[in-house]
Amino acid sequence: MSMRIAVSEPVAVGPRSGSAGRRGRVARRWRYANSAGIAVLYAVMLVWTLTPLYNIVMIALEHEGDVYGNNILPVQPSLDSFWVVFTQGYWYLEHFWHQFGNTVFIAGMVTFLVLLIASMTSFTVGRMRLRNGWLITNAALLTYVIPASFLAIPFYLIMNRYGLANNPWSVIAALVTFATPYAIFIFQEYGRSIPIELDESARIDGASPLHIYLRIYLPLMAPALVAVGTYALLLAWNEYLYQFLLLSDKRNMTVPVALAQFLNSDQAPWNYMMATAIIYALPPLATYYAFRHRMSSGLTMGGVKG
Amino acid sequence: MTAATVLDVGSPSSTRRRSFWRYWRGNLKGSEFAWALAFSVPYIAVFVAFVAYPVFYGLWMGSDPALYSDVFSDVIYQDTVVNTLVFVALGVNLKLFLALLLSGVFMRPGWWTKVMLMLFVLPWAVPQLPAFISLHWMLNGEWGLLNNALWILGGIEGPSWLNERWTALGAAIASHIWKWTPFWTVILLAGRMSIPQDIYDAAKVDGATGLNRFLFVTFPLLANLYLVLTLLATIFLLGDFNTVFFVTGGGPNNETHLLATLGIRNAFDLARPDLGVAVVMTALPVLIPLVIILMRKLRTAEVQL
Amino acid sequence: MALYKRRSLLQGSLGFAAAGTLARPYIANAQAKTVTVWFAQGFVEDEDIALRKAVADYEKASGNKVELSIIPFAPMRQKIVSAVTSGVVPDVTQNNPGEILQLYAWQDKWIDTEDVVETQRAKYSQTALKAAQAYNDVTKKRAFYGVPIRGACVPCHTWKSLVEKADMTMADRPRTWDAYFDFYKKVQDNLRKKGERKVYGLGFQVTANGVDPANLFNAFMHGYGGQGIVTEDGALNLDDRIRTAAIKACEYLGGAYRDGYVPPSAINWNDADDNNAFHAKLMVMDVDGTLSTEVAVKAKHPEWYHDEIVTDGLLYPTTNDGKPVTSITGMTNAVIPKGARNVAVAKDFLKYFIQPAVLREFNETGLGRWLPAMPEEAKTPFWENPKDPHLRGYVQQGLLGPTTPDYYVFNPAMAEVYAQHVYSKAMIAVAKKGSKATDAVDVAFREIKEIFAKYPIKQS
Repeated sequence: MSMRIAVSEPVAVGPRSGSAGRRGRVARRWRYANSAGIAVLYAVMLVWTLTPLYNIVMIALEHEGDVYGNNILPVQPSLDSFWVVFTQGYWYLEHFWHQFGNTVFIAGMVTFLVLLIASMTSFTVGRMRLRNGWLITNAALLTYVIPASFLAIPFYLIMNRYGLANNPWSVIAALVTFATPYAIFIFQEYGRSIPIELDESARIDGASPLHIYLRIYLPLMAPALVAVGTYALLLAWNEYLYQFLLLSDKRNMTVPVALAQFLNSDQAPWNYMMATAIIYALPPLATYYAFRHRMSSGLTMGGVKG
Repeated sequence: MTAATVLDVGSPSSTRRRSFWRYWRGNLKGSEFAWALAFSVPYIAVFVAFVAYPVFYGLWMGSDPALYSDVFSDVIYQDTVVNTLVFVALGVNLKLFLALLLSGVFMRPGWWTKVMLMLFVLPWAVPQLPAFISLHWMLNGEWGLLNNALWILGGIEGPSWLNERWTALGAAIASHIWKWTPFWTVILLAGRMSIPQDIYDAAKVDGATGLNRFLFVTFPLLANLYLVLTLLATIFLLGDFNTVFFVTGGGPNNETHLLATLGIRNAFDLARPDLGVAVVMTALPVLIPLVIILMRKLRTAEVQL
Repeated sequence: MALYKRRSLLQGSLGFAAAGTLARPYIANAQAKTVTVWFAQGFVEDEDIALRKAVADYEKASGNKVELSIIPFAPMRQKIVSAVTSGVVPDVTQNNPGEILQLYAWQDKWIDTEDVVETQRAKYSQTALKAAQAYNDVTKKRAFYGVPIRGACVPCHTWKSLVEKADMTMADRPRTWDAYFDFYKKVQDNLRKKGERKVYGLGFQVTANGVDPANLFNAFMHGYGGQGIVTEDGALNLDDRIRTAAIKACEYLGGAYRDGYVPPSAINWNDADDNNAFHAKLMVMDVDGTLSTEVAVKAKHPEWYHDEIVTDGLLYPTTNDGKPVTSITGMTNAVIPKGARNVAVAKDFLKYFIQPAVLREFNETGLGRWLPAMPEEAKTPFWENPKDPHLRGYVQQGLLGPTTPDYYVFNPAMAEVYAQHVYSKAMIAVAKKGSKATDAVDVAFREIKEIFAKYPIKQS
């Protein structure tokens, strides 16, 4: 991509004219208008983002979990439902923390395996320049030809054939399958920003590919690893269909599947459901906030690199 | 290394084999080639075990031509194609355009921008099932939060959002945008942040500010990324069934289905998985070119850089 | 354990003992004695506890092992369809949704269960026995593929408090069909006069989503004397009596919506929405399957259960000319998929499970949301409890009074009619698009005929 052309365009804007004072006034007015505009924009964004979340919180705080009514503020708000979730005080939630643990395990393994497999693949293709390695990356993209929700039935079948029925590893396999192509894609693109000369000089010094992978490639890829890791974690954390189909037992269920129990009946304690959802959303949020600085450049793709 | 030496002692067949291996090996040394193979084995294994097999099984399930006459003669299917086109056109483009603009806004300095960003990514983190169910309730015409608020705050009698095809579809698109814009914003934000500051500095010297800077500096640099994201977002969105399934349920009167939700409905409500797969297969003429473009983008980018 | 007196256990254990000493290789595979069972999660915790207890009792009595998966109710169909399609099946599963029994029997996917049903045949209601059978298009025969566990019907639920708020009394309610429902329109009119902005008289599910609309339409067809759209040998019957009833049902249901007596959002409700609105006291009555509406509030609001909500079972309205209305009772069955690894133990388990005392405990711990499948089991202190305002009426409507199985039992084409929401489309045409009921029903009947053409059953 040519940087020269992009940057040289504005040069054509031409010589600037006018007295410095007038320019200052205009600039100041422009700044005020600008901040006012931003304030309005932020207000709109707040309403947009928070209204649906407010509805969730309101239901969670209401005593009855009534989802219909004529109020916009909770009647007799109480934190009971959160307490019930914490103490597993309702039978749909009797294994909540265990199921939470299952989710942590699955999300953790998915994140680890996606990072491992995708980084190894992109290292081979992008850094070692395995001939025809592009076949692998192209094949990976083929995963997306049929949307994941439609591979559910075949997946259910083959997991049984592989002897993984009702086993968390079947979910891990499914999620790794769907997250890895995207991860390879990002790593490929990000890897281009790392000069290949680094590898080559290490190679001349006699470093083995494994050494280069561990000591040069992975450290330099850290931002991309963090970014993709967050992506994989959130994907695994929120996925529902595969977890539901592949896990049957209350003991090995994950939280999204446990949430589906509330759809069990015509009338459920929706306040508990929403309280669970809120508690459940906290870990990925914390992860995102913890890593957001390191994520900043991680998701970048080659297109931006000059 | 030793392997190569052994192969060099050649009968005709081993010569052929040698050239075969040499072709695949490229300019890698023997041990490096072994490493390269070892490194690519995990993904190849995943691909064979969990992609190739189910994909072919899926294709086989939807391979009976008779299914397609059933699909095409279904009135709901015809509506669904239109809905899917609208959903993709508006959903993908609005979402990414918003993400592009907002990623610029989030580049601004100041603590309130940081706070905004933190709040803004919340929908991404909330689990889909309760989030969309809550939106379904919120949009209820008589007793939902939205119309209650309109009535109490403004004395306005809001419409029944989910009762008409186009408002319901609009509600689903808005819900999708609400849930997924943060994800794409974060990616584009990362893209913007990776543009070296000296390019902006240079542009500033040249007098490019505001819109000019965006049009002539930022956007050209992000264009490739934006295009790739559009392709990815389209592919991901075609597979999204949660939004419509929980927000409108495909209603009213099955007028707001997408290919993904109609496929799931056929597969499970009608207990006809083959018919469900057939519905989705009709998206292949669109999906396959998208994936091919994506593949090419990947390779041309490699050449260019 | 004492309950388990059937010979099958003795034979089973003797058999295993014999096999153990004489023919060891045949039971070398420990899995052979394990059955996997899928059952939908109960509505109250006690249902699951009762199920687990029955399973544990059986394990103790037989020495076999049962791997029980309790699966959320609503999405269970996805799991069954995936299992049957892929051929990797459990040994026993509940037919959830009900029509899955007949749909897959048509394709010859279940194992014949007549020998299991036979053990209790005399005790089952006729409706239960009919609903356990299905037509198999491969063998061209009707046979038992289900084992009846429990039933449910579709009562009318009313907020007495809202009726009284409209200055009317429950005793004022007429007993004939049209007048009965017209009463609630008057309730709404009065409530509007008193400034109730958003409370509606009739909670009709005029939607094309879920199972509620078909239940509602069927109830109205029957209310207008139009039972029997499918005959017991699976033939479609669209004669004048049926057509007239369908037109009246379509006109009443769609018309009530059109005239503003049904919440506007009903046009896009899902199965939970009507319950949510009912519990928030935003509509005066609804016609909704099972006793869940009442049972759901029993623990938290005993006063609602005992005083405010009225279920019309004993006082279910009659036809306009005063004849009793036949109720549709949907049955829960257990089925054994073809490809099950251990059919013998699966059947043994089911024989244990359908003993009246086991079923009684299982059903009664569920607070009465589900009806027994055996009339004798309604004569227990639980169902005859004079202090309970709902149970006697419910069991009268769905078990002791005139009942019939749902129509998909006779021909699975009806399952597709429901899944395609043919009735819903007719109601919506009248409710929203200004169609005349006769035209809407003509369209619906045309579609029903097309669907039935795909499921020909040879008549004897």
